[in-house]
Amino acid sequence: MSNPIRSAPLRRSRTVGGRRLWHCEARASAPGPSSRGHASRGLGAAGARRVLVADDERAIRLLCRVNLSASGMDVLEAENGQNALEVAKRERPDLVLLDVMMPDVDGWAVARELGEDERTREIPIVFLTARADSADKRMGQQLGGVGYLVKPFDPVAIGDFVEGVIERVERGEREQLTRGITASGDR
Amino acid sequence: MSAPATYDAADGARRLQRVAELLAEAVTPQQVLDAILNDGVRAAEAHAGAIGVLGEDGKTIELLAQRGYDPQVMSGWVTFPLDAELPMSEVLRTGEPVFIASIAERNRLYPTLSHLGQEGHALAVLPLAVEGAVFGGLSLSFDRDLEFEPERRALKMAFARQAAQALARSRLYAAEQAQRKRMTFLAEASELLASSLDYNRTLARLAQLCVPGLADWCAIDMLGPDGEIERLAVAHEDPEKVRWAYELQERYPPDPDAPRGVANVLRTGVAEFLPTIPQELLDEALGDDEELRQIVEELGLTSSIAVPLNARGHTLGALSLVTADTHPPFTQADFELALELARRAAVAVENARLYREAQRGANAAQALAYVADGVVLLDPEGVVRYWNPAAEAIAGVSEEDAIGRPVAEVVPAWATLTSHVPLVAPGSPARPVTVPLVHAGQERWISVSGVEFARGRRVYALQDVTEEHALEKARSDFVATASHELRTPLAAVYGAVRTLRREDLDLSEDERGQFLEMIESEATRLARIVDQILLAGQLDADAVELEVTECDPVEIATRVLESARTHAPATVDLRLDADGAPRISCDEHKLRQVLVNLVDNAVKYSPGGGLIELRVHNGDATCVIEVVDEGLGIPPAERERIFEKFYRLDPQQTHGVGGSGLGLYICRELVERMEGQLSVESEPGKGSRFRVELPAR
Repeated sequence: MSNPIRSAPLRRSRTVGGRRLWHCEARASAPGPSSRGHASRGLGAAGARRVLVADDERAIRLLCRVNLSASGMDVLEAENGQNALEVAKRERPDLVLLDVMMPDVDGWAVARELGEDERTREIPIVFLTARADSADKRMGQQLGGVGYLVKPFDPVAIGDFVEGVIERVERGEREQLTRGITASGDR
Repeated sequence: MSAPATYDAADGARRLQRVAELLAEAVTPQQVLDAILNDGVRAAEAHAGAIGVLGEDGKTIELLAQRGYDPQVMSGWVTFPLDAELPMSEVLRTGEPVFIASIAERNRLYPTLSHLGQEGHALAVLPLAVEGAVFGGLSLSFDRDLEFEPERRALKMAFARQAAQALARSRLYAAEQAQRKRMTFLAEASELLASSLDYNRTLARLAQLCVPGLADWCAIDMLGPDGEIERLAVAHEDPEKVRWAYELQERYPPDPDAPRGVANVLRTGVAEFLPTIPQELLDEALGDDEELRQIVEELGLTSSIAVPLNARGHTLGALSLVTADTHPPFTQADFELALELARRAAVAVENARLYREAQRGANAAQALAYVADGVVLLDPEGVVRYWNPAAEAIAGVSEEDAIGRPVAEVVPAWATLTSHVPLVAPGSPARPVTVPLVHAGQERWISVSGVEFARGRRVYALQDVTEEHALEKARSDFVATASHELRTPLAAVYGAVRTLRREDLDLSEDERGQFLEMIESEATRLARIVDQILLAGQLDADAVELEVTECDPVEIATRVLESARTHAPATVDLRLDADGAPRISCDEHKLRQVLVNLVDNAVKYSPGGGLIELRVHNGDATCVIEVVDEGLGIPPAERERIFEKFYRLDPQQTHGVGGSGLGLYICRELVERMEGQLSVESEPGKGSRFRVELPAR
């Protein structure tokens, strides 16, 4: 897996509608023009990518929201595990960025439950956590994660990273991504 | 002198009576010999007398003493055979007296004596016998020819009987005296040998005891571990000579393969006794070394004894005794005494060695019984041969149940336990491996190291490191936790900066403000975590200084709550309940730190929100400050442990709430340093109540 903390080639973008999105996290589609490089990703009519950010830290949610929106993605948010499960099941996002240590239901439990549910089984999960142990990475792998980002991470690159993961999953490379979590030199 | 024509028997009896009185007074053999040969011979009207006794070998006659004979002549008669054709020999053989009237008759009867010439006259040789046993003969020479009439013969025989009795008695007395002296010596030696367990010193003193009473020289040599000869002691009355002997020893070190002497005794364990030291032996030993020859000749060695110190079939050393200038040559009795002495010395040395070994064994057993580490000895078949009390405690198996049984039966997990433990050779550094051992449902961590020695015997040292392991785990967990705690605010700060610098994003003023605020608050959080780590370190090193002032607890609590409200979630209701608490003496800053931490904890462990109350009130001469929440609560088993350093509630139980693991440890340490107490009450699911009690001013 490539190191996500790197500068991605920035796309020309504006913050149109981004703010609104923060407050209607569960809404299915983002209002306003969605002209920020969508064409270049070949999404076209399929609409913007919808990413659920589940983290109890407001700061982390804010970072993800602003930067993913800048990449033209619609961002859904959850501030704890229980909330994450509800939103994921209801909205079935294109990807979940999932923190591990959250009050109530932790990230592992969220991933387990999503993996056990027919409706959510296919949603790719990328763990975004401060837990850097290899044992934790193995746990993420076992739970079927397709990516494992260790904090601190580069939020500027998060959009490209998420897009890359989604595309590879679409190409049927889910298993390689999962295996890649514990690849050497990975962090 | 002219002889009376007839023998005056009465006069003879009177003279005999006087001699008998003298003999009765004589005690030592010398006094008896003097009485016989001076007074007795004169009383018997003889001009010379001699006494011979049967030697120890029973085949020779030794001339004990003589008076009146030509010494030149007698020098040829020091000893002579019992079976010789001589009057004395005949008397000792037959027990019958020989009376010879003249030289002519003598030469006729004993032709071998005819070469002595025609000088001399009558001769009587009388048997010396006690209770019918002949032990010697008394010869009397007269200065005239004599017909030995029956009365004269009877008187001479009576004199011989009295002389025999006196002599036998004195010899017995002398023998008894000698025996007593030996016994005294042996008793003294035994006492000395029993006096100390330091046998090197004891033996040196024993050597000293042997001179000059028993010998002129005494030496003790011990056999070293590699068969070398170690001279332990040399004794001589003259210390100068002892020094000289040591010098000699250095210049002429003993040859362990020498065919005779100490080396031979040490090698064979058989005693050597030389009643006289034959010249050829000296020649052989000295070779061509003229200087040595001179030294040895100066020493004037006459006889020697070398006896082994044998114990339990081993030769430990040898005791050598030598006579030289002052001491008469050794007799069989001396040799026997030396043997007895050596036997006792050997027993003493062996006892001392055994005692030392036993003592060492006892010390080792004591050490092994009380050492905190388990010690297990296995034979090559894996059977337990030793199992100390610490091993009992660690494995939960008694010594009785372990010894003599295969270790795999004693501890079923043994193979797993030791499979990763490298067996090192004796003397190599131990390579302990820490492994878990479950017994009685409890997991213990055991540090195991093993040594293999003496063809497959193995000794294992087991150390219960459960606590160290837990601490180590807590430490590494702490590092992981601390890094986790640092990573999250770091991610926020780093991410905010990266985002702010994004040129392709037009952030609104409001958004920029949010990011800047995020940087500020997360940097503060980082600083606080780092502070906690440092503070914990200072508390450990007892390097925290308190600035105690008089302060108002209500005021402090109010400010803590105000500050908490600014960042607490909206679901949390923070309230103060204070009713006239006393003023206290404390470090205001530290108390605030404690309360901030307790309130933060209450917020953190109240994920569902709810009431968090800060209560300040009067205690019993104390001020009580309580932080009460309606949060997750703390399971009973964890209630004390939460105050331990690095301890964190199980994430499973706290649903992933993070923390440095230091907050409560720091709180309790600070409160206790302010002479207060920090305690907790809690009901899982209902909430917790942390109680700080500080002495009122």
